[in-house]
Amino acid sequence: MSHETEATLSRRGFLIATGAALATTTLRPAPTAGQTPPPVPGKEKLIVRSSRPLNLEARVTDLTAYHTPESVFFVRNNYDAAPVDLAQWSLKIEGEVDGPVVLRLDDLKKLPAFTQDVTLECAGNGRSFHQPRASGIQWEHGAVGTQQFKGVRLADVLALARLRPGAQHVAFDGFDKPPTPQAPDFIRSVPLWKALAPHTMLALEMGGQPISHLHGGPVRAIVPGFVGSASVKWLERIMALTEEFNGFYMKSNYTAPRVDNDKEVYSLQSLEVKSIIVSPAEGAKLAPGRVTAWGWAWAGEGELTGIDVSTDGGKTWTAGKFVGTWDRYSWRKWEHAWDAAAGSHTIMARATDSLGRVQPTSRASNRLGYRWNVIHAVKVDVA
Amino acid sequence: MWRSVVALAAGLATVAAAHAQDVEIPKTPGWELIMRCVICHSVEIAVQQRFGPQGWSETLDRMIKYGAPIPPEDKAQLMTYLLRHYRDPNGR
Repeated sequence: MSHETEATLSRRGFLIATGAALATTTLRPAPTAGQTPPPVPGKEKLIVRSSRPLNLEARVTDLTAYHTPESVFFVRNNYDAAPVDLAQWSLKIEGEVDGPVVLRLDDLKKLPAFTQDVTLECAGNGRSFHQPRASGIQWEHGAVGTQQFKGVRLADVLALARLRPGAQHVAFDGFDKPPTPQAPDFIRSVPLWKALAPHTMLALEMGGQPISHLHGGPVRAIVPGFVGSASVKWLERIMALTEEFNGFYMKSNYTAPRVDNDKEVYSLQSLEVKSIIVSPAEGAKLAPGRVTAWGWAWAGEGELTGIDVSTDGGKTWTAGKFVGTWDRYSWRKWEHAWDAAAGSHTIMARATDSLGRVQPTSRASNRLGYRWNVIHAVKVDVA
Repeated sequence: MWRSVVALAAGLATVAAAHAQDVEIPKTPGWELIMRCVICHSVEIAVQQRFGPQGWSETLDRMIKYGAPIPPEDKAQLMTYLLRHYRDPNGR
């Protein structure tokens, strides 16, 4: 800090509203000066979109594995959280229940466990491509990843507390807290049908290891098929509600204009149908001959029904094929073999799903920059 | 209202100023007001946004509502700074 700055701040009577704000500034060490924020240990390959709260994005060319290594798995935090002592951690189940309960990690471990592969994508992934520019973290393509999660069914946990008939939504609250008392807590709810669905999980493990603090440990909600923000990290409280949670992160953020009435918004649920091209990379120089273009596709609550690929900028399309392993709510690898002739080419991929959805060629901008699933295109030179 | 806020300790100013150096920002008039933003979030959050006048005004109003210490006389200067460097010519 320069003396000039210090003097300026002092002269201006630099103020702060609350002591709570002061406390949050110590959650992470002060970064050093530079053109870009410092990398996060273990996450050096990720692009730092924001260091506080932490928001990290993968480069598409690093998303080469079906299970995304934690080293390149994106991080999206609305607020940061301090790590918790496992001995002190507990989870309250309350609200529209006949028997509120407080569970510890060992209680959860006694319930039947299951594993599944789930693709998590931030609702704002691709926001930077919206025109005019939308408000929020300016993600490109890399706020998405897939991992194996192990945990227990949320339905089994809710049963312990005995839901009342009026319970129609279930809200998740983590131990991340906003930096001021006036800012809204990060709380998200899902409708009861999704809370009770057999895939909806309280996850204790990610990639065969206890979930790391960066990814929401010790216990994180995993709501497969929904936008990533539904999979609330650092759980400490679950509330059964008669209505959708009435808070900023349900009624304002994570909303988009209704298709039938754009004067009203709805709270985002399912991910869009979407695909990305991992290879070739944007701007790649290729030799003439056989090239296999490939990438990932996913469809949230839909199920993928096809992947079409164009190598001429969208003039003609050919069916690609899905290959390799996949799970109900994971991405699927697609590929397309192509005889590349000399010249410049634009490769595009377009996924379709069981809900009748097709990736579009354009998307009207929305204020908060959600629902970006426009066909991904990469330009290559063959010589 | 602004009389009720607490005067800042020098230690906090040090922390906040360090956070403002997460990324370099242009040192034109008004730049030091960005310190008010970095009490709660790193400077990248602010400078990766691009808005027109209405968009920046609404954003600052929301931050003020959430406790950002930006009195009215400073909001105008901060708007000028933000629109000089972080304006979307097609934005609201």
